[in-house]
Amino acid sequence: MSEPHHPPMIPRRGALIGAGLLLASGRRARAAGAAIKIGFVSPRTGPLASFGETDGFIVDLARKALAGGLEVGGTTYTVELLDRDTQSDPARAGQLAKSLINDDGVDLVLATSTPEVVNPVSDAAEAAGVPALSTVMPWEAWYFGRGAKPGAPSPFKWTYHFSFGVAEFAGAYISQWSSTVATNKKVGVMYPNDADGNAIRAHLAPALEKAGFSIVDPGPYEDGTNDYSAQIATFKKNRCEIFNTFPIPPDFATFWRQAAQQGFTKIVKIAQTAKTGLFPSSIEALGSIGHNISSGCYWHRDFPYKSPLTGLDGHALADGYEAASGRQWTQQLGASLALIDAGIAALRASGNPKDKAAVAKALSTLQTTTSLGKLDFTKGPVPNVCATPIIGTQWVKGSGKFKLDYVITENSGDRNVPVSAKLLPYS
Amino acid sequence: MIFLNQLLQGVFLGGYYALIACSLSFLFGVMRIVNLAHGSIVVLAAFLLFVLADRFEISPWLALIAVVPAMAALGWLLQRFVLDRALRGGLLVPLLATFGLAIVLDNALFETFGADTRSLSPFIGDLSFDSWSLTDDITVGKMDVLILGSAVAMLGAVSLLLARTRIGRAIRATAEDPGTVELIGIDARAVYGMATALALAMAAVAGAFLAMRATFDPYTGGAQLIFAFEAVAIGGFGSLWGTLWGGIALGVAQNVGASIDPSSFFIAGHVTFLAVLVGRVALGRVAA
Repeated sequence: MSEPHHPPMIPRRGALIGAGLLLASGRRARAAGAAIKIGFVSPRTGPLASFGETDGFIVDLARKALAGGLEVGGTTYTVELLDRDTQSDPARAGQLAKSLINDDGVDLVLATSTPEVVNPVSDAAEAAGVPALSTVMPWEAWYFGRGAKPGAPSPFKWTYHFSFGVAEFAGAYISQWSSTVATNKKVGVMYPNDADGNAIRAHLAPALEKAGFSIVDPGPYEDGTNDYSAQIATFKKNRCEIFNTFPIPPDFATFWRQAAQQGFTKIVKIAQTAKTGLFPSSIEALGSIGHNISSGCYWHRDFPYKSPLTGLDGHALADGYEAASGRQWTQQLGASLALIDAGIAALRASGNPKDKAAVAKALSTLQTTTSLGKLDFTKGPVPNVCATPIIGTQWVKGSGKFKLDYVITENSGDRNVPVSAKLLPYS
Repeated sequence: MIFLNQLLQGVFLGGYYALIACSLSFLFGVMRIVNLAHGSIVVLAAFLLFVLADRFEISPWLALIAVVPAMAALGWLLQRFVLDRALRGGLLVPLLATFGLAIVLDNALFETFGADTRSLSPFIGDLSFDSWSLTDDITVGKMDVLILGSAVAMLGAVSLLLARTRIGRAIRATAEDPGTVELIGIDARAVYGMATALALAMAAVAGAFLAMRATFDPYTGGAQLIFAFEAVAIGGFGSLWGTLWGGIALGVAQNVGASIDPSSFFIAGHVTFLAVLVGRVALGRVAA
């Protein structure tokens, strides 16, 4: 922007000046319209970096696809994607969002991966009156965690979110645990004392009990705990043949090795992890006791949907990433691409992507197909939110060039996703 | 019986804390430096071992033969080019220098190795989760025994070195008064260099066991530092065997806390740490 000294307190004026300048320069270049700026905020470094690892690749794909500009309502806009790294720090995430809004004058903010990124970015966008779209964190923690009340009208006008929630986990787990592996339906759970763990304890555990599973819960533990003998003794005493947990990855490695030492893993028939086990490296690090751990995914290379922006289907996207990076595909590829897919779809649907209110309105009724599948913001479960499925999966010993393969073992969340293997018993 | 197992696992956990804390305790004892980069240095050693195991298929045990001297050399350089200058700036500067070093190391590791979670466990067969079952409720992990044994061996070796050898006497004398030892012909800088080399060699061993027992990534270091620091503090600053007892006290306190309620794991450890500190002050025996 031309005025480095304009006070950040009045972003609206700054944005107007910016828009005016951009219009002027656009006229010089071609008869067509202005530039659209989109911010893309994710954790590329720091403890959450395995989420952001693939984002550089995705942003590059999107930039290539948008190189010819975006046509909305007969006007062709140039599109600039500004990707930002939160360094896994929630405070920095909020600052980045403010800077994108006030200094860069973005028209739309996109954010992905964990409450530590998404919530501060959404809060900043809501406060500044800039449309924002986000994904990959349980929607309950996004909607209720930011102050919405059940049954009351949505307090959010500018921020929208598509992601899985507790109901999607419950559906996938009940389907997964009732499939090929017979158990005594006793579920030992390790839910930590953090935002995710407490939400899961309050909402998922009752849903599982209703479906006929009995829950053995030794109680919340703190992230970073180094010894789990007390919990393991409880699970052994109760002979829990199913195990479910939502830990941070290092805690799971410590727990699972101790469980193997103390003989609990010999009892377990289904080991269902969430949060850990999203990415291959955290399971690989376990060695042989990582084989046959079950997980749930929000995207998989076998998803049958094409990204409208890039024209890539799941296999093309995963193979492209593996060829470019030499590393195994991860489920974040599809989610990050879907976020950009949906953001572009909203800009198109708005009729005028420079009109922030029109973009927000387009988001509120957005119906589009992305690499994650169909998104529909008109259906709920609450305003501002579109729930997306969790698909049951399992890490099995690799048959190709990677140490592990990630296979789909149930599809109750989206029947279009093909099941590729039967669930194998853990032990 | 279950409670007995809790206590036993607490003792082993304490052995692990002591092993991680050896280097920190030694460096403080000799140079009065609280090395805030300790956790990151331990993780650096873990990464070196991982590279040798993953790319060159060298067993982590063999790789230690190369990594321990390499880390010792790095320690000497660290003293020569960073700590030596920092020490001249007063008490606060070494603290800031090692804090800065931790940030540089963490991010350099991230730039080099990416965010992946790693472990040396896949390279040592079943050892990291193998165990002896004494009864249904009481099991002893083989890795845990090895860690506790290594901690005792390392502390014993360093104590012997300090008590019985010429270098040891020089190190002890320099720790007492670096100015005076120079008068009797001991080069304090050379002694400090050797001490830092030894500290980093110990950190390399700690890194090996950290990476075999659990997982690590470029940002694992910070979390390791706090327990190591508490073990040193509980055992008494500057006391090597105290660090072992301090580690065990911390591990047992955490496990007893967790058996009452899983969420009291940390708080039980921190309360023990605080109680010991307050107790020392009250008894007028503040070490340092």
